[in-house]
Amino acid sequence: MSNTNSLILEGVNLKKTYKLGRSQVPVLRGASLQIHQGQWTTILGSSGSGKSTLLHLLGGLDRPDQQGGEVLFNGESVWAKSNRQINTYRNNHVGFVFQFYHLLPELTVLENAFLPTMIGGSFTSKSEAKNQAKRLLDQFGLSHRFAHRPRELSGGERQRVAIARALVNNPSILLADEPTGNLDEETGNGILDVLGALHQEGLTIVMVTHNMEIANRGDVIVHLRGGNIAQLD
Amino acid sequence: MYQTLLTSRYLTSRVIPLIAVAAVALCVALVIVVVSVMTGFLDMVQSSGKTLMGDVIISNGIAGIPHYEKLANRLEKNEQVLAATPIVDGWGLLRMPYPDSNVKQSETVQVWGIEPESFAKVTDFKNSLQWKNPTTNQRDWLLLDAVSNNEETIQSLLNPEQWIEFVELINSASHTLNFVEANLWENTKALLNEEQWNAVLSFDVRLSGEDALQQQGLELSRNGKPGIVLGLHVNDGNRRMKNGTYQVSRNDYWWAPRFEGTLTMLPVDAEGGIIEPESIIMPFVNEFQSGVFTIDESLIFIPIDVAQSLLHMDEASIVDLDDPAKIIGVDPARSTSILIRGVPGIDGEVLREIVSTIYDEFSSSFSYETIVLPPLSHDPGLIIQTREEQQRSFTGPVKKEREVMRTLFSIVYLVVAALILSIFWSIVFEKTRDIGILRSIGASRASIVWIFLQYSAVIGIAGSFLGLFSGWLIIKNINAIHDAMGNPPLSIAIICFALAICTGAYTVVKMLSGQMLPIVLGSLGFITLSGVGGLILFIRYIGGIVVWDASVYYFSRIPNELDWGSSLFTVGGAILFCLLGALIPAAKAADTDPVKALRHE
Repeated sequence: MSNTNSLILEGVNLKKTYKLGRSQVPVLRGASLQIHQGQWTTILGSSGSGKSTLLHLLGGLDRPDQQGGEVLFNGESVWAKSNRQINTYRNNHVGFVFQFYHLLPELTVLENAFLPTMIGGSFTSKSEAKNQAKRLLDQFGLSHRFAHRPRELSGGERQRVAIARALVNNPSILLADEPTGNLDEETGNGILDVLGALHQEGLTIVMVTHNMEIANRGDVIVHLRGGNIAQLD
Repeated sequence: MYQTLLTSRYLTSRVIPLIAVAAVALCVALVIVVVSVMTGFLDMVQSSGKTLMGDVIISNGIAGIPHYEKLANRLEKNEQVLAATPIVDGWGLLRMPYPDSNVKQSETVQVWGIEPESFAKVTDFKNSLQWKNPTTNQRDWLLLDAVSNNEETIQSLLNPEQWIEFVELINSASHTLNFVEANLWENTKALLNEEQWNAVLSFDVRLSGEDALQQQGLELSRNGKPGIVLGLHVNDGNRRMKNGTYQVSRNDYWWAPRFEGTLTMLPVDAEGGIIEPESIIMPFVNEFQSGVFTIDESLIFIPIDVAQSLLHMDEASIVDLDDPAKIIGVDPARSTSILIRGVPGIDGEVLREIVSTIYDEFSSSFSYETIVLPPLSHDPGLIIQTREEQQRSFTGPVKKEREVMRTLFSIVYLVVAALILSIFWSIVFEKTRDIGILRSIGASRASIVWIFLQYSAVIGIAGSFLGLFSGWLIIKNINAIHDAMGNPPLSIAIICFALAICTGAYTVVKMLSGQMLPIVLGSLGFITLSGVGGLILFIRYIGGIVVWDASVYYFSRIPNELDWGSSLFTVGGAILFCLLGALIPAAKAADTDPVKALRHE
């Protein structure tokens, strides 16, 4: 395992409550966890345990409750930042991979992959950004698919495009929410192999799953039960 | 910019933008067509009164303006005045000569005594005259009248055998009342030698004279006798057809220029009492049409000197009351008003000020020894008005009507706006998931709104201008479209039925497969096509539908001018509502948490 010492992302006593009609449903009741540089953390929990919510809070997509804890990225509170800085955080520092791929159907594979570079990022030229996207797609075996639309791709291919998109701005962390949940086992394993290879290269990964077997791919498994972190392996 | 990339992809890779452009275009075209036709209609009503009025009018009621010729001369010397013409305005009773008794025989008419030459300069009198030359049928009536009125002269010109043949010819023609069949003109010409034929033609100048009928109208006289020009609807024998043309009843039997009428007017003395009514029999020399029904049904023109004499406004001697034989002066002829036309483009208000100044100069130019002085400009009764002021009682209601229509149209605008809003609302709603994706990869809220602003601006501008263009096309061809609707071609019905059969067959085939969408679409297509075909057959069966009934509106054609002002307003409004329609839901979507937006399916 490469450099596991430096702390990069930290969730401190995270609380999140959803309104369901008139009742308040607490999803997270004070979950805390620490992500270290180069670590592959898997968050394991059953359906409804709040594992996706935890990932959304960490990725800056969803806001914790008032006084519902903090997300610290490199020691700085994410949710204390301005809207603009949160946008930069989503665009530049974390990469998200979703269960349902969430590619834009009107854009080609290549355009989907380099879309985040058009929104922000550190690339100085468009061609440089495009080359980065092409390199990632090449790496994931999609070089023949650049001009295709997402609907022409298989599920595994779409998820690989989504991973390329998540990584195109060289984020510090890849956040994956059940990345294999919509795929058959063989294709899912292919995706996990891709993640494994990226991890080998030193990428920090946080992955949510309900599958113990998949969770075992990670270095650290976090069990989430009843909105709390149950056990650290 | 990724916003532009996304906008262009949204526009090009889906059907919805096309539907939205079409919807916006239809809405814009609808409003433009309706507003343009309505505005055009009201403008026609408003401007039709211009035909027979000057730009400014001076009037002094029944008391009249003495020395009016001097005033007219003074006015015409001004560079801003094109022409001035005196009018003697009064009411009278016109006994119509209808030979049949089941129609109104006397008409109450407004009588204008005019100086035809100067009146034609001030107004559009010449073009308002209905008859330039008689039609073949009308000419044959004139021929029949001429020979009936000059029987003895003709008999003296013909030898006995010719005369018997001639009488037979005339009798048979007058019995059938069908001159084309009887070939009256050619047969008469063939029967007579050149000298005899020329003698017959000389009975009535209208038989051979080029534009003689129009000339008589312009001179208000026939064979040196003063004549009457009737408003087209004064004569009940004129019937307006649905296509806007006129037909004289009973095969031109009641054609006004064949007849003469008795005009009675009521002169009023200085105390307002009625003096002995005066009557005169005059030929009808022509008819006019101003386009305003109330004018055309009640106004007649006669020469000004006839009107002055009927109303006792002509020149008279002033006698010493103690010694009636001793003439002490002259009471000059009077006119009730003077119509003034300014040079083209002059503003009515400006011209009125000029006319007022000239009138003051005129009224103060007489020496105190003059017995009859014209009224001063501030005297009660003397009015100097622009045409707009003069016509206010007539145009006022029309203007109010236009206001009411504008108000009603603003409701149409609201409906269109709501439609555009809802279209965009659903477009953006459908894209909520995309918005969630973009937010999750770091797009700002403002940039999300910007995408949909661009998107809707393109749809709004394209749709609005397409609508403007279609509206313009429809307006320019509205009369052709209307005629086609009134008389739809059979070929279209046949094509509809053929297509309906194809669609029906397709539907039946698809029914076997059990798929619902082709069945629904096919059935709808079948019903629509056969319905349109059936409707066309029905319209043809009942002889066509006339929506714009010219016999009701008194305008033969639907106005076909685009109202550019309100059209551009509509285009601007449509674009604005497209932007609003996209802005509001886009802003709402941009504010949604990305997670919630992503969950949106």
